Amino acid sequence: MEDERTFSDICGGRLALQRRYYSPFCREFCLNCPRLSLRSLTAVTCTVWLAAYGLFTLWENSMILSAAISITLLGLLGYLHFVKIDQETLLIIDSLGIQMTSSYASGKESTTFIEMGKVKDVVINEAIYMQKVIYYLCILLKDPVEPHMISQVVPVFQSAKPRLDCLIEVYRSCQEILAHQKATSTSP
Amino acid sequence: MACSGGGGHGQPSSAILSPVTPGSLSTSRTRAHSICMVSDFFYPNMGGVESHIYQLSQCLIERGHKVIIVTHAYGNRKGIRYLTNGLKVYYLPLKVMYNQSTATTLFHSLPLLRYIFVRERVTIIHSHSSFSAMAHDALFHAKTMGLQTVFTDHSLFGFADVSSVLTNKLLTVSLCDTNHIICVSYTSKENTVLRAALNPEIVSVIPNAVDPTDFTPDPFRRHDSVITIVVVSRLVYRKGTDLLSGIIPELCQKYPDLNFIIGGEGPKRIILEEVRERYQLHDRVRLLGALEHKDVRNVLVQGHIFLNTSLTEAFCMAIVEAASCGLQVVSTRVGGIPEVLPEDLIILCEPSVKSLCKGLEKAILQQKSGALPAPENIHNIVKTFYTWRNVAERTEKVYERVSGEAVLPMDKRLDRLISHCGPVTGYIFAFLAVLDYLLLVFLRWMTPDSIIDVAMDATGPSGAWTHQNPDTTQRVENDEVLDTPR
Repeated sequence: MEDERTFSDICGGRLALQRRYYSPFCREFCLNCPRLSLRSLTAVTCTVWLAAYGLFTLWENSMILSAAISITLLGLLGYLHFVKIDQETLLIIDSLGIQMTSSYASGKESTTFIEMGKVKDVVINEAIYMQKVIYYLCILLKDPVEPHMISQVVPVFQSAKPRLDCLIEVYRSCQEILAHQKATSTSP
Repeated sequence: MACSGGGGHGQPSSAILSPVTPGSLSTSRTRAHSICMVSDFFYPNMGGVESHIYQLSQCLIERGHKVIIVTHAYGNRKGIRYLTNGLKVYYLPLKVMYNQSTATTLFHSLPLLRYIFVRERVTIIHSHSSFSAMAHDALFHAKTMGLQTVFTDHSLFGFADVSSVLTNKLLTVSLCDTNHIICVSYTSKENTVLRAALNPEIVSVIPNAVDPTDFTPDPFRRHDSVITIVVVSRLVYRKGTDLLSGIIPELCQKYPDLNFIIGGEGPKRIILEEVRERYQLHDRVRLLGALEHKDVRNVLVQGHIFLNTSLTEAFCMAIVEAASCGLQVVSTRVGGIPEVLPEDLIILCEPSVKSLCKGLEKAILQQKSGALPAPENIHNIVKTFYTWRNVAERTEKVYERVSGEAVLPMDKRLDRLISHCGPVTGYIFAFLAVLDYLLLVFLRWMTPDSIIDVAMDATGPSGAWTHQNPDTTQRVENDEVLDTPR
């Protein structure tokens, strides 16, 4: 089963949430951010080049122009490869664990896997972020020494930053699976 | 009983002596407000304002209101925390300038405060303490945003020196368009009305309270063979430590069976040590040094008489605590002190060594002749005077009144500032108010109210806080702060 709904992020941008239910206890949530728009790319490039031309007329040194070109190119490559995340995926399988994948605009992917034994809970938390107070989803990890304590908090959907309604959607599904996992692991 | 009596000529003692009956709590169910307490001073910092905010908030939550607290970050404690009964505290990462008060540029706190006010759907902003820059900032922004404002003043001020002239001017600006002001005693009300040039009708008097269960008498802890005088105060000029150093030798010579216990720390401690040295009173005058609030009761119950030598005081909590422990109180007649206790529980003196000695001798004679009531009886009388539930009930009435009032629109507010605060200051702050408004418009354009998530209510009518399972998500929610994305 697969469906798609649109939500917005904390700045009002559009986000698409795809849910794939492979089985009742294996679900995938996929948040798609809008692609890099041609408009903002043009705007940034134009500003850098206009500034470079301004400096060029002032100092008459052609090094500035070549520097501007290389800065734009390298900046764009770096941005696409290290900063701009197009898609964030949360895959949760009750008997295995939770896998988080972020795909960068360049195609690079980075994946983190947390096995179920280490997961204590999935909660929605509040934090002060820049000049905002936001909600975010996070995974609490068990302390290996003391299972009642929390050793680490791993935030999910860090770059997309969806709003609360979207988080609640994901949170509910995760809780269903976690509850089932707890029930099956304690019963036998 | 939220007495906003005309012009401060009311009969104070009758107003504060009327005891609260527990039954009056459930009467007159008013509508629930959404209140935001703002002050630089909150736990883990310790003091009177801090405990006032905490206790008042707890009692307001008990009465069904939604309460949140906004303060600045203390060290590693920043972000959002939940206290008992779902009291939500925002520790904002703002820079601390001096004495735990934040630096103010009047504008830099607007984005965060606005975000919080919007997401919590706050209707009333209640600021505390005139020393807190953040409290004044919040008042300023709240008025720009068109929210109702209440301010509680916790201290008395002078009029003469440069620093108080400046603070008084700022207070005038800050309070001239505030909806309602609360003072802790009639003396404090008079002081605030004069300092800030206010209309006395918008100033209410609601005293502080003590938790009577914390201050219970324990007659077995004191030795009745000698008479012990207890002093608990910071040892500073304001608290009259110099008077104390005059009283000690005089009385110790006269009464060989008299001991002093002095709790507290401060720059004037050296004077007391000098006196002790000169008159060889090491076995009779004990200096305990700084006391934690929880230890105060254990010191108080060791004595028979409590001595307070303050030179200025808005509302003296110490004497109420002492009386609640069953001690006979001897105090100076300054500030709001005469309003605090009825005449048969306190001996009032002029702030001079001679008068205080006379008062103490009277108390000693009464103690020796057994004319004083038993500590248990005093405690039972005092515990009905000042309860936090009563304070919350009266504060609620202020909120009720304020929520019916209109907030000044921008043009009237500018008029008020210009006409009230003098030609120069008035125009400067009117200009700043306009800038603040423009900044607010800009912020509303950047992040419209509609895309700010409404926070889940922990307290209030639809509060999510449950007593049954405090072990689930809510407790965990306060554990980590995401200041920078990792």
